[in-house]
Amino acid sequence: MAAPKRVSQSLRNAGVAGCASIALCLGGCRDTPASSFVAASAEAGAALSLFYTMAAVGTLLWLAVIGLAIYATWIRPGPHAAQGVRLLLFGGGVALPTVVLTALLVYGLSMPMPLEARRPDLRIEITGERWWWRVRYLDDAGHGVELANELRLPLDRHAGLALRSAEVIHSLWIPALGGKRDLLPGRVNHIGVTPTRPGLYRGTCAEYCGDGHANMGLVVEVMPAAEFDAWLAGQREDAAGPMTAAAARGAAVFLRHGCPLCHTVRGTAARGRTGPDLTHLGARHTLAAGLLPVDAPSIARWLTHPDRLKPGTLMPRFELPPPELEDLAHYLAALR
Amino acid sequence: MAAARHRQLWGVFAGPLVWFAHFLASYVTVAVWCARFTSDGGLGAARWALAALTLAAVAGELLIAWRGFKAHRHGFAIDPVHDEATSEERRRFLAFATWLLAGLSLTATVYVALPLWLLTRCG
Amino acid sequence: MNDASTGSDEERAAQESRLVAAWRPPRGWRYFSEVNNNSVGLWYILTALCFFLFGGLLAAVMRAQLAVPENELVSASRYAQLFTLHGSVMMFLFAVPIFEALAIQILPQMTGARDLPFPRLSAFGYWCYAIGGVFVCGSIFFDVAPQGGWFMYPPLSTRWQPDLGADVWLLGLSFIEIATLAAAIELIVGVLKCRAPGMRIHLMPLYAWYMLVVAGMIVFAFPPLIVGDVMLELERAFDWPFFDARRGGDPLLWQHLFWIFGHPEVYVIFLPAIALVAMIVPTFAHAPMIGYTWIVLAAVGTGFLSFGLWVHHMFTTGLPRLSLAFFSGASLAVAIPSAVQIFCFIATVLVGRFVASVPMLFVAGALAVFVLGGLTGVMVAMVPFNFQAHDSYFIVAHLHYVLFGGMVLPVLAGIYYYLPLVAGRRLGERAGRRAFWLIFGGFNLAFLPMHLSGLLGMPRRVYTYRADIGLDELNLISTVGAAVLALGFAVFLVDLWLSLRRGGVSPRDPWRAGTLEWLPRLPLHPWGLRSVPQVDTRYPLWDRPALREEVDAGRWYLPDAEEGRRETLLTGAIDAEPLHCLRVGGPSFLPLAAAVFTGGAFILATFHAWTMSAVCAALALIVVVAWLWTGTARPPEKPAKHVGRGLVLPLYAAGTGAPGWWGMCITMLADASAFAALVFGYFYYWTIDEGFLDRAVQGTGAGCAGAAAAAMLGAWASVLCAARVNRHGHAGRGRLLLGMAALGSAIAAGCALAVPASAGLAPAAHVYDAMVWLVAGWIALHVAVGLLMVLYCLARSAARLLTPVYDADLRNTALYWHFALGQGLAALAMLALFPANA
Repeated sequence: MAAPKRVSQSLRNAGVAGCASIALCLGGCRDTPASSFVAASAEAGAALSLFYTMAAVGTLLWLAVIGLAIYATWIRPGPHAAQGVRLLLFGGGVALPTVVLTALLVYGLSMPMPLEARRPDLRIEITGERWWWRVRYLDDAGHGVELANELRLPLDRHAGLALRSAEVIHSLWIPALGGKRDLLPGRVNHIGVTPTRPGLYRGTCAEYCGDGHANMGLVVEVMPAAEFDAWLAGQREDAAGPMTAAAARGAAVFLRHGCPLCHTVRGTAARGRTGPDLTHLGARHTLAAGLLPVDAPSIARWLTHPDRLKPGTLMPRFELPPPELEDLAHYLAALR
Repeated sequence: MAAARHRQLWGVFAGPLVWFAHFLASYVTVAVWCARFTSDGGLGAARWALAALTLAAVAGELLIAWRGFKAHRHGFAIDPVHDEATSEERRRFLAFATWLLAGLSLTATVYVALPLWLLTRCG
Repeated sequence: MNDASTGSDEERAAQESRLVAAWRPPRGWRYFSEVNNNSVGLWYILTALCFFLFGGLLAAVMRAQLAVPENELVSASRYAQLFTLHGSVMMFLFAVPIFEALAIQILPQMTGARDLPFPRLSAFGYWCYAIGGVFVCGSIFFDVAPQGGWFMYPPLSTRWQPDLGADVWLLGLSFIEIATLAAAIELIVGVLKCRAPGMRIHLMPLYAWYMLVVAGMIVFAFPPLIVGDVMLELERAFDWPFFDARRGGDPLLWQHLFWIFGHPEVYVIFLPAIALVAMIVPTFAHAPMIGYTWIVLAAVGTGFLSFGLWVHHMFTTGLPRLSLAFFSGASLAVAIPSAVQIFCFIATVLVGRFVASVPMLFVAGALAVFVLGGLTGVMVAMVPFNFQAHDSYFIVAHLHYVLFGGMVLPVLAGIYYYLPLVAGRRLGERAGRRAFWLIFGGFNLAFLPMHLSGLLGMPRRVYTYRADIGLDELNLISTVGAAVLALGFAVFLVDLWLSLRRGGVSPRDPWRAGTLEWLPRLPLHPWGLRSVPQVDTRYPLWDRPALREEVDAGRWYLPDAEEGRRETLLTGAIDAEPLHCLRVGGPSFLPLAAAVFTGGAFILATFHAWTMSAVCAALALIVVVAWLWTGTARPPEKPAKHVGRGLVLPLYAAGTGAPGWWGMCITMLADASAFAALVFGYFYYWTIDEGFLDRAVQGTGAGCAGAAAAAMLGAWASVLCAARVNRHGHAGRGRLLLGMAALGSAIAAGCALAVPASAGLAPAAHVYDAMVWLVAGWIALHVAVGLLMVLYCLARSAARLLTPVYDADLRNTALYWHFALGQGLAALAMLALFPANA
């Protein structure tokens, strides 16, 4: 571990960036893909405005109360007449909060609600697994194409998401789309989003769900509708056969070492359902629920010690001879 | 004598109890209606039942507040002290507390009922 | 008038030596048989501070792990143990117990009582707490600590964490929750019945009002959690599928039960700390509290409103939007009483002549921190914002601001303020200021950035985070802040240690306060006041300067302990007119033994050592019966005694006058709350209806339910007749009727269990079956308790300890049976009639 080096480096950054990041939070760091200061839908934008309004009013109220307390204790103006002070008690303790809270309640009730489901243009089912996201795009007949840890959405279309869980409770949090909703065993939660800003965003699990909780990420890509349709059509295709000799050897390793027991690669004999579908793995943004980039070296690292990279993962460790490992990683990375 | 005193102490809690009854009834009605009875996600009859309940709760709280206010016999004083060691002061203190709590409960009842006015659907 | 004021100096000295003899704590190893509130309170405070330190160390390890991204200091599962224990320890082993500890220690001084009404119950509660707390905390050293979070959500905590951890949490903490209930009952009776004569309800110290509200909240909030604990443990140990969606159960019901407890719990923690502030502020403003009635309004109002907030912990579970809106409205409304309290404090300082001091410094810091936490609380009560903030570090920041400002800082202020009273010594002024600025600065440095880390996408309960999402600097700042905070506590602890060892001995009434607790000589004698005065103002020390001398001279009530017994006055709940002279329990090892065996029963059940656990439970029961037999409701040697100033008070109270009767009433309220939680569960499963209706229409044993109801009615009628004929002097006929009641209750218990048995319901098959078994078991348990009470009365009557005059036990039993009958009939009707005919 390079922890000491990182500590000193971070300490150096902390001095400058620390104060700055609080002061400049509305500027500098708001555009990280996991931030809720980025709004990719109208409802998320409204929620962000609500936050800014409340933060501003809250700061003023805090300053007023603390200012009053400082006046009463440090400036010590001497005893005040009880009658005037009682008016202050009524005004500050009763009238002011009642007015502010009533206004806030009406504001909150009349604004558009993030994640509210309407009649969808597109139906997607998301199942929380330990510890990754199973994402199925459903067609009108209810048949689906399955992928994992990646949610691509078309711009300006209303996507309806059905959230399920088979085992434990998870919560899908995509800050840019306006918040989170739980995935509960035995229930289906329907949410909906209409993304209005293209881009790459991050989502994560927000409900503690066991050892893999910290490493249960999701990439969300909002893309123009035409591009999305082309992408989805591509996803419906089976995996192309291995193009290179190494990939062909890798495919054989894949079948021989029991990978098909858990994974599906459509167009091959691999039809396992326990782990993520790998049909188009190479075209995804990340590996292992947001943990690693998708390239052959990362795949090889993941295959060799998944439990170190992601404690608790149900993916077993594969100790393969290096040539076989390379071939397998090459094969998987080439599944585009 | 003792019974009347105890009644007055319980009277202090009357306002919040009305709030709680209204709150619980609203929550249970909506939960059961939205889980078992609605076909289209609308509130239908439940909304009118809850509106009637809210009116009853508000009327009850106003009555409790009025009784407290009258028993207090001090007009609109913000903070009468009531610290004499007499039964009359104790009675007035409890009446004042009754009226204040009924006021708070009324505000809370209105807050809980506001959504019924602004939202018309379960989901 | 034969009042004590006429006595000579020698006589006064003799009185005092008799008081000393009656109240002297046992020496040597027998010291731990002491039950007086001053000893038990001190143990309680010290133990709670130890657990606080332990919880803080757990947090320090977590902050070290999060200092840099992708750190590998602790593993994911160890981290889960850390945050689970940190939350559980701080909530169950520090925040609630420290309030009970302080209340046990100072409430009797404030109300002019010699002790709380049930001192042995306090001792029992303390020992349960100490044993359970050490058990739960110790688990981390054997790597079996719970790791489901302090909220223990199933199904993670049922099917997916089969190790001991969740059992440790469920059983170890349930045991403490029961002790908490015991303390709440004691505090309510203490506030209502053990005040100084003349301390009418509108003259009580505000602290007493807060205690009344908080203890009342505990009575209603904790039982639903205990019911939830029982259900979760039944699912873990015996596979009853309460929270298993595949067999009709629902994990969300646990969340309801947990947060019906969990949200009031926040105010159970907050209000007692504000109660300390309400005592401290007038002292340093040198003015009576402005808005006494407003503060009472705020305390009572908060107490009620806090029961309408629980779903705001569940905004993201997918409940109907309208349901969320109700809870959003209630969550906003609860901010009003908080604002009222804060403005009352500021107004008091404005009116008075303010003097700066270390306790006030902590109060001011608490104000700054709490107001911020309260404002972010209003923010997260808004549903659209809650969707972002929920389960993110924004909430971590919010809840720590609320709890630190609303609890830790006021408690520290309280410790600086009350240490002279408790230990006779003062803490250092300079060290106090240093500790404050380190704690205050460190806290803000640690937690202010967390608002931002949350909004930048950091979820809660992650053992690490990625380097590429802009959280590195913020987390490092938080860790540095945590280190500064820890340093501040180190300064405080060193100061505490040094002051206790060789600090300045405090003069009497060091802060020139106005309330009764500062009247006695310091260091405090176990009996508190030399004699118990008549109180007729809210700030008697300010209003009656002569009081100190009168009290010291023994010119008021109970200046003596002629019979060598520990005594305190029992007064009317509203106007505090003296009613009885209550003899409270003295030193005894029975509470300790009862706690050890109760603890054994729970702890052995954790390891599924059922036989040993049952043996321990039986031993605990035997010890409790022995304790009641030897310690309660014993006929006095004379009916009444002089308590001073010509006042003669009876020595025995039965029925509504007896503290035991009040304790029984409050226990039944708690029991009713638990029963309401059960009924809620039953109807809840009906509303989600995953096969509930189908199984229910097959019918439950309606015949058995009818038989059980008839037998219960018979037992109830027999107990009532027994109480009546006994009062008329026919002890023999009373015993005959009690025998009939015992027979009837045995039949009722059997018939209740036959309800599900005769219908062939299998509890592991479906949640309907499990629920019917649970309710039937609940009825049978209550009838069995009634049976035990009947048998106890029978034995007491045979031993001539229950006589036509001295019949408190029988009247309490009759009271219990009223309740058990009502609850039992309601439960049986629910099982037999709903939803089969619906």
